[in-house]
Amino acid sequence: MPPPGARDLSKLYLLGPPLVFLGLVFAFPLVQVIWGSFFAPEFTVQYYARMVRVSVYAQVFWITFKISALTTLFCLLLGYATAYFLASLPPYRRQLALLCVVVPFFISLLVRNYIWMILLGRNGLVNSWLLTWSVISQPLELMYNELGVLIAMVHMLLPYMIFPILSALLAIPPELIHASGSLGAGALRTFIRITLPLSLPGVAAGVLLVFIVALGFFITPALLGGPKQMMISNLIEFNIRQVLNWPFGFALSNTLLSGTLLLYFLYVRLLKGRLPAVGFP
Amino acid sequence: MGARLALSLMGGSVLAFLLAPILFVIPMSFSSSMVFELIPTQPGLEQYHRFFASSEWMLALFLSFQVAIGAMLVATCLGTLSALGLVRVRHRWRPVIEAFLISPRIVPSIVFAVASYYLYSQVGLVGSVTGLVLAHAVLAFPFVVVLVTSALYSFDRSLEEASKSLGAGPIRTFFRITFPHIRLAVFGGALFAFNVSFDEVVVTLFISGVRTKTLPVKVWDAILYEITPILPAISALIIVASLLMLSPVLFFYRRRSSI
Repeated sequence: MPPPGARDLSKLYLLGPPLVFLGLVFAFPLVQVIWGSFFAPEFTVQYYARMVRVSVYAQVFWITFKISALTTLFCLLLGYATAYFLASLPPYRRQLALLCVVVPFFISLLVRNYIWMILLGRNGLVNSWLLTWSVISQPLELMYNELGVLIAMVHMLLPYMIFPILSALLAIPPELIHASGSLGAGALRTFIRITLPLSLPGVAAGVLLVFIVALGFFITPALLGGPKQMMISNLIEFNIRQVLNWPFGFALSNTLLSGTLLLYFLYVRLLKGRLPAVGFP
Repeated sequence: MGARLALSLMGGSVLAFLLAPILFVIPMSFSSSMVFELIPTQPGLEQYHRFFASSEWMLALFLSFQVAIGAMLVATCLGTLSALGLVRVRHRWRPVIEAFLISPRIVPSIVFAVASYYLYSQVGLVGSVTGLVLAHAVLAFPFVVVLVTSALYSFDRSLEEASKSLGAGPIRTFFRITFPHIRLAVFGGALFAFNVSFDEVVVTLFISGVRTKTLPVKVWDAILYEITPILPAISALIIVASLLMLSPVLFFYRRRSSI
C-alpha cells in the first residue's frame, strides 16, 4: 500500500486536467453570467424584477410551463402504454421493437424538427394526404401553433419516458404477477394493485426527466411554434442576439438554470437507489 | 383478449410514430422537383449532386468534421482521465465531483450557449474553430465519463496493483492492463462525442461566426431563410451517417444491457 498522501496526489493528476478544463470553459462562464445579471455595473435586481413586473415575460414563463406540462402528460400516457407493451414482448422481439425508440433518439434534433416541418406544414405531407383522400377540404393548421410544438416535442421526448418506465416494469418479479393471478385477481386488478405501484419510480423518473428537458427546449418552439409559443429559451435568444439586452438575457438564463437544477436535485433525491440503471442519460 | 389487442395496437402505433417520420425523408430526398413529394415522380440524385457540388455546403461539412474530430479528441482524453480519477476517489466529495463532471448534460443548452458567447466575446473566440472545439468538447465530455466509469466498475483494480508491484509504471500499467479492458467504452464514448459535436446546433448558433458555420448551423439558416429542396437530401445523409456511426455502439450495448 502506498502512503495515503501519494494516492491523493495521483487522483489529482488524473482529475486535475478535466476539472481545470470544465472550470475554465464551463463553470467560469456560468458564474460570469450570474455576476453579469446582478452587476451591470452597479448592483441591481431590476432585471429579475422586470421578469415579474412585465406581464409579457410572465406570459412566456406560463407558456413554457404549460407546453412542458402538456408534453409530459402526453409522453406519460403514450409512454406508459408503450413501455407496458414492450415489457410484455418476448425478449428477442422486445430488442427489435426497442430499435424504434433508440434509433430516433440518436438522430439529430434539428433534422427531426425539420422532418416535422415537412410533415405538418400547410402544404405538408399530412395535409396533402388528407386532402387527396378527401378527409378534409381545407388544409389544417398543424404548424406554427401549439399543436405543432406539442407533436414534435412529444416525438423528441418520448424515449426519456419509455426507458425508465420500461426498466421499472422489467424489474417486477414475474412471480408476483402469477401469485396475484392464482390468488384470484383479474388482469385489471393485478395491474392496479401490483404492476402500477411497482412501476411508479419509473414513472416519476420519466415525468421529471421529460419535464426538465422540455423546459429548456429551444429548437422546436423556434421552428414549429408561432409567436404565441415563445418559450423561455427563445426569449433568452431574442434578448441576447436580437435586442442585445444582455443583463436581462442573463437574468432569464439564470432563472431557467436554477429551475432546472432544482428539479434535477429533486430527481436525484427522490429516486436515489429506487431505480435500476436507466442507462442514458 | 380485447385489452391485449388494444395494447398491441397502441404500442405499435407509438413505435410507428417514433420511427416513421424519420423514414419518410429518405424517399423524399431523391426528388428532383421543387415541391415535397413522398414518392418522387422523377427520382434522381439531383439534390445530392447539388449538395456535393456546392462549395458553401462543402465548407460547412468540412468545418463540422474538423470541429467534431477536435471535440472528440479533447472529450475522449479528458473524459477517460476523469473516469480513471473518479473511481479512485473514496472521499465523500465523490458524488459532488461526479455531479460536476456530468453537469454539462443537465444545464440547458441555451444557458451554456449564452455563457460561452459572453466569455468568447471577451476573449475573441467567437467564430473561431478553437472556440467551437472547446464548447463541443464540454458537451460531449459527460458521455465519455459515464461510459468509461461504468466500464471501470466491472474491472478488477487489483490487476493494476499487481502490475505496479511487478515494476510497471502508471503509464505502462494503463496501456497494458487498464486500457485493453475499457477499450470498447473509450471508443464508444469517442463515437458519441463525435456525434454530439456533429449535431450540435444551439450553442454553435451563438458562437459560430459568419465564416465559420457548421453543417447544422447552415441547415438551420436554410430552414429559416430559404426553402430549398436540398434539405431532405442533407437530412437523409445526416441520418445515415448517425446510424452508421452508432450501430457498433448500439450492437455492443444491446448485448450487454438488460433492456
